[in-house]
Amino acid sequence: MIKTVRGFVRNLTALVVGLSFLLPLYIALVTSLDTKADVFTFPPHMTLDWQWQVYSRAWRMFRWLMYFGNTLLIAGLTIVITLTVSILAAYALSFIEFRGRELIFGLILLVVMIPSEAHLIPNFVLLNFMNLLDTYAAQILPYGASVFGIFLLRQFFLSLPKDYWEAARIDGCGHLRFLWSIALPLCRPVLFTIGLYIFIGSWNSLLWPLMVTQSHNVQPVEVALARFLENNSVDWRRLSAASIFTTLPVIGIFLLLQKHIIRGISRGEGIQG
Amino acid sequence: MSVKTEHLTYYQSTLAARRALRRRRMRELLTALLFLLPALAFLTVFVYVPSVMAFTLAFWHYHLLGVNTTWAGWSNFSDALQFNVFQQSLANTAFYAAMMVPGIVVLSIAIALLINRVSRFYSFIRTLVLLPYATPAIGTAIGWLWIFDPTYGLANGLLHAVGLPASQWLQSPAMAMPAVAIYSLWHGVGFDVVVVMSALAGVPRGVLEAAAVDGAGAMRRFFRVTLPLISPTVFFIVVVTTIGALQSFAQVYALSGGTGGPEYATTTTLFLIYETAFVYNHYSYASAMAVILVLIILALTLLQRWMGKRMVFYQ
Repeated sequence: MIKTVRGFVRNLTALVVGLSFLLPLYIALVTSLDTKADVFTFPPHMTLDWQWQVYSRAWRMFRWLMYFGNTLLIAGLTIVITLTVSILAAYALSFIEFRGRELIFGLILLVVMIPSEAHLIPNFVLLNFMNLLDTYAAQILPYGASVFGIFLLRQFFLSLPKDYWEAARIDGCGHLRFLWSIALPLCRPVLFTIGLYIFIGSWNSLLWPLMVTQSHNVQPVEVALARFLENNSVDWRRLSAASIFTTLPVIGIFLLLQKHIIRGISRGEGIQG
Repeated sequence: MSVKTEHLTYYQSTLAARRALRRRRMRELLTALLFLLPALAFLTVFVYVPSVMAFTLAFWHYHLLGVNTTWAGWSNFSDALQFNVFQQSLANTAFYAAMMVPGIVVLSIAIALLINRVSRFYSFIRTLVLLPYATPAIGTAIGWLWIFDPTYGLANGLLHAVGLPASQWLQSPAMAMPAVAIYSLWHGVGFDVVVVMSALAGVPRGVLEAAAVDGAGAMRRFFRVTLPLISPTVFFIVVVTTIGALQSFAQVYALSGGTGGPEYATTTTLFLIYETAFVYNHYSYASAMAVILVLIILALTLLQRWMGKRMVFYQ
């Protein structure tokens, strides 16, 4: 009897703790759907009033579709470039034997030791020098090589039996073909995890796009939202509505793919995510 | 491997075979370098060269248009170290880290232990706890601005309910940074909960049961068995949280409305670097600040590694 009560209390506590993590998001939802009179009340009321008008008003105030498109374009291109670059490097560091391999790998791992603040301002200066400020490229190229991606893929490639490559080589298969038709299909799950982290990181990044973009045409949705919050700081309902519809896509992706995210973190892959 | 070596020694007796081998090695090396070229090119342009540049920039008075670039010597560094806002930003950052590291460690272990012993909604609760980790700071700040509102907010509602005096939270210099830390705990703890949960899964049940049979209570079992066994994970969390806390920017930007206020109370060092460089265009001055921050981060990382070797129990 005491045991079941204890178990019940424990389950209930855990559920309350879990649900409390939703609270800030729920509050934003309540605020966005409030009638105007209900926004400022004490104690705050917590029920939904379903006043959707604010959403269409907030939606019409900014070119949100364009910002979403920018974010998707930046994230998509970053994923393609980073994965390609990482696969090639990881393959060379695991399947090809050559002198100096460990040295190059060490050189790449050294990057992890350098805090990103070290190259923040010089990167900006260099991009300015290359005439790339205020472009999509400025938001993509600095992320072109992911040490974390190279490391993970190398680990994976090293776990594959060497016999695959020996057998393929005897049959006259070159590295590029082996990579394309054997190694690559096998590492699809790893690629997926890395891509997912790049996507979330890209969606949520703020400091770098704030630094390198000025014209609205190339700005991602987070930077647009930051500006929206500054411009409309009095209308809480509008702010909440915009926050909700810009955050929902990434929440949706998280809910759909959380299995991969959790597996990635448990394996220690999410360190830089 | 041995078969291959035998074959090689056999064939190496002929000169032609040796030449073929050398040619093959050469080809392998070329392929490898070709494969590595894109990665090394990106890292050179965006990491290696800029990291060295950070130091050189800090010793000049650099202007973006390239005019009037003059030698500054150590002046950027000495100016930064004497600048009261920079000093305050270091203190703010340290204060924030001092709240975040114990906060994350204690909360993540507590929540992980709680979820681990739950029989229902196990993965549902884990999902809820991890959800904030995937959300952007700006997008989730609005709910928290509302919670911390001095007049209508939930935080003061809670304080009121337990009979404590209300706080100005984000509008008070003393409470603004703790408020940011509360937000960051909410945002980041889920990641560490998942890390701790996977470490807990590795604690052998037999040891815990043996301790229970020997009459060790729940507290004793945790501090004498579980905690030492997961100490490498706890150490990992301490290191990652410290580095993350020293690099905080987005949460401060979001919760202070891009001001770092009130009265510089939430101006972290990275925020000040951002402001100095990109709002006031003092790139060299900001570079000197960045170099100081980087050196602090590196020193702390080395110190923690050194301490970790002594205090962590590795199986």
